[in-house]
Amino acid sequence: MELKKLIRQPANLFLNLLFPAILTIAFIFAFTDPELGMSLNSVIPGLIVYAVIFTIMTIAQSFTTERQEGLLKRLNTTPMTAAEFMGSQIITHMLISFLQVIIVFTLAFTLGFKPDSGIQGILLALPITALFSLSSVGLGLITATVSKTPEAATGISFVFILPQMFFGTFVPITSTTQQIAAFIPSYYLLDALTTIFEGNWMNTDIFLDLGVISIVSISVVIIGILLFEKYGNV
Amino acid sequence: MSSAIKSALEQLDTKELHEIARLKGISIPKNWAKPLIVELLALNVSTGDIQAIGAKPLKTRVKSGDDSAIIIRDLVKQFEDVTAVDSLNLEIKQGELFSLLGPNGAGKTTTINILSGVLKPTKGTALIAGFDVTKNPEEIKRIIGVCPQEAAVFKFLNARENIELFGNIHAIPKKELEERTDTFLKLLGLAEASKRMTKGYSGGMLRKLNLIMTLISNPKIAFLDEPTVGMDPRARRKTWEFIGSLKEQSKTIILTTHYIEEAEALSDRVGIIDYGKLIELGTPNELMEKYETSNLEQVFLKITGRRILEGI
Repeated sequence: MELKKLIRQPANLFLNLLFPAILTIAFIFAFTDPELGMSLNSVIPGLIVYAVIFTIMTIAQSFTTERQEGLLKRLNTTPMTAAEFMGSQIITHMLISFLQVIIVFTLAFTLGFKPDSGIQGILLALPITALFSLSSVGLGLITATVSKTPEAATGISFVFILPQMFFGTFVPITSTTQQIAAFIPSYYLLDALTTIFEGNWMNTDIFLDLGVISIVSISVVIIGILLFEKYGNV
Repeated sequence: MSSAIKSALEQLDTKELHEIARLKGISIPKNWAKPLIVELLALNVSTGDIQAIGAKPLKTRVKSGDDSAIIIRDLVKQFEDVTAVDSLNLEIKQGELFSLLGPNGAGKTTTINILSGVLKPTKGTALIAGFDVTKNPEEIKRIIGVCPQEAAVFKFLNARENIELFGNIHAIPKKELEERTDTFLKLLGLAEASKRMTKGYSGGMLRKLNLIMTLISNPKIAFLDEPTVGMDPRARRKTWEFIGSLKEQSKTIILTTHYIEEAEALSDRVGIIDYGKLIELGTPNELMEKYETSNLEQVFLKITGRRILEGI
């Protein structure tokens, strides 16, 4: 039912599913020119990360809208526990992230993407991305906590989206920006996916990336839930 | 075992529990923990036995018999420097349709929010079917239904999906849920539009759906906060009939409304609240007799108007 609610909203449908598809096609044609020296293997990880961090906005909008329309208050008068409610939201948004990744992969494969890692790499990329999507849920909840309206949530979500976009998606990282990127969660997903698609999926760096993604994502989602429960669910 | 008695016993201290046991001739080992004593006494004592010990705070804890659905004692809700509910005392019986009337900002919705577990009281207690609103909100949420003032429905779900969502939260078996959904949709005239997304619904249709979502779980106690606002007169009359039929199912209904004729037509008793205080209580006929008027609206205007003139 949660998924139905999200998919039926034209803006959400566009942002969550069509936008990543359009971006994938556009970026593949724009950035994979041999003269630019960029390959599909280097563009696709950035697109996947970009799609997942964009869900911060839709999550924040979804929570603020339901709060503004009195739906959260109404649910609060039913036997549904806070854990059940948050659980359903987390599963739904992780599922959306999963769908986004599938869309990006499907289009990328159709347009010639052949990761050196083969199918094992894809299978490894999916759970790591799903784990990272928890951080987007957490940041979405933090955004919803401090935003009074869905419009405010849209703006405030960019506080979390933009740094991740510039320091951990398809924007090239230089030696100067590398130091900043070390503090950006999406950088570690980008690094992990790039390493995997290059065929180095047994590289020990991936375990470091996975460790950072796990700690950051779980911490952020817990902080998000606690803040929203205490200050945002009214 | 009455849950009201158990809840009342839970609020006593161990010394008081031993005193009740002594009066009833029940032997309790000294090393028994309080929950165990409560369980034993709940099987063997009545409300009268609890009152018989004359514990000072008991008068505010339990006054009624077992037929009370709601007991409110010295309830206060303070928002910074505003007292929204001010020392409210009220008792509503099982199966009663009770209307809470009052001007805007009188404290009606805040009272409902406290009774339904959304807000915590600043002071005082309220028991819903024997469960304390501050200690047992989970139990309360299983037996109540709340129809909020604003129609809170999911716009990108259709009516049937909205209803089923709330039915599933209450774990109603699938077949029963389908049957109840069909019945309610037909009764309130929403059957034809039930598969349309509710974002295209009129205000009146949303109100009807709001009400169905409240009642789909077959709650023992329903709080209806201005359920007919925005409905045309015909739809309002139809909804009155529907709410009236709930009385026949022995449901306890707490209704807030600005349509005084609605309260007069439906209510067993009416409470008038202003500035958070209960200022009048009685059956519509009792109040009309007391204020020598021919309808409840005049009673309401006399009471609330007088308070404005007297600067209360």
